[in-house]
Amino acid sequence: MSAFLRDYLIVILFALLACGVVGGFIGLGAIFRPNRPTAGKVQNYESGVDPVGDGWSQSQIRYYIFALLFVMFDVEAVFIFPWATQLETFGYFGLVEMVIFIFILALGLVYAWRKGVLRWV
Amino acid sequence: MYLNQFLIFSAILFCIGVYGVLVRKNGVLVLMSIELILNAVNINLVAFGTFHGQAAGQVFALFVIAVAAAEVGVGLAIVLLIYRNRRSIDVSEADLLKG
Amino acid sequence: MLAQAVEVSEFVRPHIDWHAFAPELILLAWGALVTVIDLIGLEKTRRYIPGLTGIGFLLAMIPVLTLWNDGSTRVLFDGAYVVDEYALVLKGLFLITGYVVVLFSTYYMADGDYYDSEYYQLIAASLLGMLVMTSARDLISIFVALELISIPAYLMAAWRKRDLKSNEAGLKYMLMGVFASAIMLYGMSLLYGVAGDTRLSVIGEAFTVSESKPLFTLAVLFTIIGFAFKISAVPFHTWAPDTYEGAPTPLTAFLAVASKTAGFVALVSIILEGFSGQAEVVEPFMWILSAVTMTVGNLIALKQTNIVRMLAYSGIAQAGYMMAPLAVYGTVSDAARSSIVTYLVIYAAMNLGAFTVVIAAARRTKSGEVASFGGMINWSPGLMAAMTVFLFSLAGIPPMGGWLAKWQIFSALLEADRNTGVALAIVAAVNSVIAAYYYLNIAKQMWFLPSPEGEFRPFKVPAALTAALVITVVLTIGMGVTGFVPEITEFVAAP
Repeated sequence: MSAFLRDYLIVILFALLACGVVGGFIGLGAIFRPNRPTAGKVQNYESGVDPVGDGWSQSQIRYYIFALLFVMFDVEAVFIFPWATQLETFGYFGLVEMVIFIFILALGLVYAWRKGVLRWV
Repeated sequence: MYLNQFLIFSAILFCIGVYGVLVRKNGVLVLMSIELILNAVNINLVAFGTFHGQAAGQVFALFVIAVAAAEVGVGLAIVLLIYRNRRSIDVSEADLLKG
Repeated sequence: MLAQAVEVSEFVRPHIDWHAFAPELILLAWGALVTVIDLIGLEKTRRYIPGLTGIGFLLAMIPVLTLWNDGSTRVLFDGAYVVDEYALVLKGLFLITGYVVVLFSTYYMADGDYYDSEYYQLIAASLLGMLVMTSARDLISIFVALELISIPAYLMAAWRKRDLKSNEAGLKYMLMGVFASAIMLYGMSLLYGVAGDTRLSVIGEAFTVSESKPLFTLAVLFTIIGFAFKISAVPFHTWAPDTYEGAPTPLTAFLAVASKTAGFVALVSIILEGFSGQAEVVEPFMWILSAVTMTVGNLIALKQTNIVRMLAYSGIAQAGYMMAPLAVYGTVSDAARSSIVTYLVIYAAMNLGAFTVVIAAARRTKSGEVASFGGMINWSPGLMAAMTVFLFSLAGIPPMGGWLAKWQIFSALLEADRNTGVALAIVAAVNSVIAAYYYLNIAKQMWFLPSPEGEFRPFKVPAALTAALVITVVLTIGMGVTGFVPEITEFVAAP
């Protein structure tokens, strides 16, 4: 068996153990706990509000634009993280570069705000 | 850990992605298949970068991730536009213009 | 075995040659400035945005000229970014193209109740990508430049939000474009893997000694297929006619000229530098691609009745001519490069001109059919004269520029002195004759046939369109008569 597979054997054993422990406790609970279902108990829990419709419902289309903006700005973080780990090495040069980068990103956000994209319609 | 394990994995991912692009008719699923291809690219780049002992591969992968997000953002916007106008995102129904 | 640690070396502040980088920086700063002005003024400043954008393109032209005057080749970022004559000629070409596109977009966009300030900002973004592309000599910068060109173009193709045809044009262009760049990236990742570096010069050296032929061939195929989509080479052209017809016409001109040129620039850089030592792998592929592209493009163009679609297919056929020298680049690398650059410059002038006439005529006829050009000699003799110049140039009749462009391609093919080159030259010659037929058919419509509307109604071309026409006519005739372009591109060929 190669070193690579031996390393992964530990991972597999650990995964099996984890499944066993969790499954065991839940199974034990199922044996001992009383089972008296009522209509209120089997209802889906939705932050204390009465659930409406079934589990699969379409999201409001207006969420989409926020999701899109979020994805854009979220992904730009991949450029900021590597820079942040080496902040001291790069010094002022890196700082100025990053300020320019963030300025251009911020321009995009200001654009969205000014053109009324962020307004909840 | 051997390089070709990664290459085979990424080749499989690439093939699944290409299959998805060619077969799927739902615009969003086509975009997701393209994401699969791009992830195959990223795996290749990171594996090769580590193989050569360089950071260039990982830097390339970061650019691919960022650009892929932009592409998908624009793509979803266009698919949504189509949906608003014709209530369907079936790519094969877009046939007003005949090549 | 995979090496585990990536080496971390001491950080050295890279030296930046600001002069060499100035055109891109000016365009970026100006784009940001125009965006800020648009955000502050909104409706109040809206009608100044096209003019401001155009001024920005002309401003970026200044450092291009001073760099040209300076004449030295500047290498930035360890060879990843090179500013030489080849890059400067193309930067100038892109900026002028961008300016002409802004000129003829002005009326079109303002007439049609679309968001127009964003349109110009997107054109500027796309143009910035093109400027970067001319100098990019590194897989990463080529990829980023290509996406910077394409992503704004996807949005602009779908610009007419409520028009199903425009939506569809955008969808097709976006899906094909994204798919193509994904395939190209897979090829690039393999190139990087085999060569161990992203710089084209290092890749070129690595491949002259490389042993792993199959992986390399696969990488080359994927990379070239990706670019073949961008330059709409057959059989990867299917998006082009649909997108061209459905998109707003000024944007069609932008795609057909600037975007295609940018694809060619990247293809030429990659093939001539990155694949310089592997001509026997790349050449047959380019030969087939070129011959099929020009033949299929011309044959389908013959049947078109819509003038924009016809120009689209004619553009596809011309991409075939432009690719032809790449089929013999192993023996005549310099001639291949300079003939392609010559063709690109002249192609841009004559096609932009033809699109300007189409846009201007559509203001009267509200139609894109070839028949609607009938009797143009009566209702707009000036427009007709300009269109005749462009059609003769496209057909390759001396002394217009198109003749010179074709001549350069043929001489590069024959200079190689190989059977494959001669065979391709014959294919191209036959195709030129087919193409002349449908170009001259339009000329016949304008000169001799009556207007389909029957009545006489004088027609005035707006000032911005007139300016665009003057620029393109002067360039098309001037380059043909003086042979100015080969003088520029001689510099390009010298390494």
